[in-house]
Amino acid sequence: MNSTIVGTKQGVSPWRVVLYVTLIVFAIFYLLPLFVMLVTSFKTLDEIRLGNILAFPSEWTTEPWVKAWGNACVGLTCEGIKGYFWNSIKMVVPAVLLSTLMGALNGYVLTKWRFPGHKWVFGLMLFGCFIPFQIVLIPMSQVLGFFGLAGTTAGLIFVHVVYGLGFTTLFFRNYYEAFPTELVKAAMIDGASFLGIFWRILLPSSGPIIVVTIIWQFTNVWNDFLFGASFAAGEGAPMTVALNNLVNSSTGVKEYNVDMAAAMFAALPTLLVYIVAGRYFVRGLMAGSVKG
Amino acid sequence: MSSLEIRDVRKSYGAAHILKGINIGINSGDFLVLVGPSGCGKSTLLNMIAGLDTITSGELLIDGKVMNDVHPSQRDIAMVFQSYALYPNMSVEKNISFGLEMRKMPKAEIDKRVADVSQMLQIQPLLKRKPSQLSGGQRQRVAMGRALVREPKIFLFDEPLSNLDAKLRVDMRTEIKKLHQRLGSTIVYVTHDQIEAMTLATKIAIMKAGVLQQLGSPDEVYNAPANMFVASFMGSPSMNLIPSKLVMQDGKLTASVKLKSGQELFLPLAENAAYNAWQGKEVILGLRPEAITDPGSAEATSKLLHQADVLIDVVEPTGADIYARMELNGQDTVGRMRANCGAIAKQNAPVTFNMQQAVLFDPKTEERIS
Ligand SMILES: Nc1ncnc2c1ncn2[C@@H]1O[C@H](COP(=O)(O)OP(=O)(O)OP(=O)(O)O)[C@@H](O)[C@H]1O
Ligand SMILES: [Mg+2]
Repeated sequence: MNSTIVGTKQGVSPWRVVLYVTLIVFAIFYLLPLFVMLVTSFKTLDEIRLGNILAFPSEWTTEPWVKAWGNACVGLTCEGIKGYFWNSIKMVVPAVLLSTLMGALNGYVLTKWRFPGHKWVFGLMLFGCFIPFQIVLIPMSQVLGFFGLAGTTAGLIFVHVVYGLGFTTLFFRNYYEAFPTELVKAAMIDGASFLGIFWRILLPSSGPIIVVTIIWQFTNVWNDFLFGASFAAGEGAPMTVALNNLVNSSTGVKEYNVDMAAAMFAALPTLLVYIVAGRYFVRGLMAGSVKG
Repeated sequence: MSSLEIRDVRKSYGAAHILKGINIGINSGDFLVLVGPSGCGKSTLLNMIAGLDTITSGELLIDGKVMNDVHPSQRDIAMVFQSYALYPNMSVEKNISFGLEMRKMPKAEIDKRVADVSQMLQIQPLLKRKPSQLSGGQRQRVAMGRALVREPKIFLFDEPLSNLDAKLRVDMRTEIKKLHQRLGSTIVYVTHDQIEAMTLATKIAIMKAGVLQQLGSPDEVYNAPANMFVASFMGSPSMNLIPSKLVMQDGKLTASVKLKSGQELFLPLAENAAYNAWQGKEVILGLRPEAITDPGSAEATSKLLHQADVLIDVVEPTGADIYARMELNGQDTVGRMRANCGAIAKQNAPVTFNMQQAVLFDPKTEERIS
């Protein structure tokens, strides 16, 4: 408080300077890896061998990006990562939409259509959030085998929906807890059905929490490696698994620039989601904490 | 428009008994106001009428048909909530038409009804706005519009005015009253404001702790309260309840009251056979402030006037009237007098007791003696 007043009235206070310098140092520290990745991905292999990893490329080239996308070798095939990128998209979009929708429905029921034992159900779903990935691997593979979904994208979607449900339910339950129950009652009297109330009244008012949930789920599902590596092998593997295989493929020289470009491809969608929807993220996290 | 009957309706949450056997019946066109202190179960009862709360036991009839297990949307009722409960994502127009749309009414008919209602409530300029862009009073109107457009059998209001400021509340009160007179609709209205109850109701139900204390016209409830709770709840300032003793004086039954000076007044009582049994016993004498007044204001038509000089403790001007406080039988008592009657604090002033309006209560049961 004080320092802002001083700062605006009498120029810059020493405190401000210290604060900003510290923040800038930290920002640089965190951005450095991204910077190295970016510049490396635009360098030629010859230049990389010179060793100056912080320098800008003397000669910019998009060759590594093209190669990573189209004809780098992942395992035994050399068709780049594009197929796996689409694998990931095909997995992440339905998984995120389904888990968000189901979380919203759960939150709706757990707050507005309470049944005996609703606290237990919610408690168990919360508990589900804390189960480590590794524990569910074997039972999950059995379940997938039972349903005939083993090794398919559909199976991977199923795993991610189930695993994400705890979080999405938590998000929506807390959001709807603060949502006035009188609105639901009014809609009931107006003749709206169970799903009608959900579609027409609740969902249209859930913008911020939908964004939060989508960002959260998108990041988690896109970045997941363990489930992908365990349940989707070979051609059906998601981006993260393919990236690992690409980097570890030991054919000839290690192409750092191609590896970096591929890693950038893997990171782009999450970056994009954050940039596009980021400002809603904070807003959504704050919503419900203060009654509007 | 139609009748409503509530037969021995009870509500319990586990061991907590919230409503303890409510019996109320109203006719088509009645304006029933449920009034009572906070937590007495008014909203619970209203929600049960709406079908938003289950009925533990008893029966609820609309137009002679049992409604206990009928879904809220099938009861042909409309409700106005305390928080207005306007759908935040819809425009005012959508808010009003939503209920009709859900009932699959033809578009042309919906448009006509919305136009009529918005005309009646003068909200046409607001139709395209979102609820968040409205003032409290405008929201209130829209909420009423949403109920009116449905043309239901019964309107339910749960403290619809309590979120408005004092001035607006009075205006809207008048408007609701006019609306009722114009449409002749059946209304159940919850409030804890007894002035709202008196001004709006054709019938008032006073509740306390889940028990119906009295059901009657505003006049009955005000002038012949069933018990001391009703007497003190209705009216502002509330009825004076003075401990007194019935004694015979000159062959007539009177209520004796001692002034601060030590002088004893014998206030005459109206003829009532029920009073005779109480001769020589302690009772509670109930007198409205307007029954304790300056001689000039006293009702000329009343035959039971009693005048005395009384020491006035405090004078509270309200503009039109003054409230003069005095002590009767050690009880702080309020009289309402004309502003220019000349009463001054710490001085004696002539006071007229209009005993025609007096009521007596049993001090043990707190019921009115009648
Ligand atoms: N779900 C519930 N479980 C237990 N008790 C409840 C429940 N809902 C309401 N009550 C109790 O029922 C009683 C009546 O509540 P109600 O809301 O009907 O009061 P009210 O007369 O409308 O009061 P107010 O004027 O404050 O709105 C209160 O004592 C309340 O604590
Ligand atoms: Mg209430």
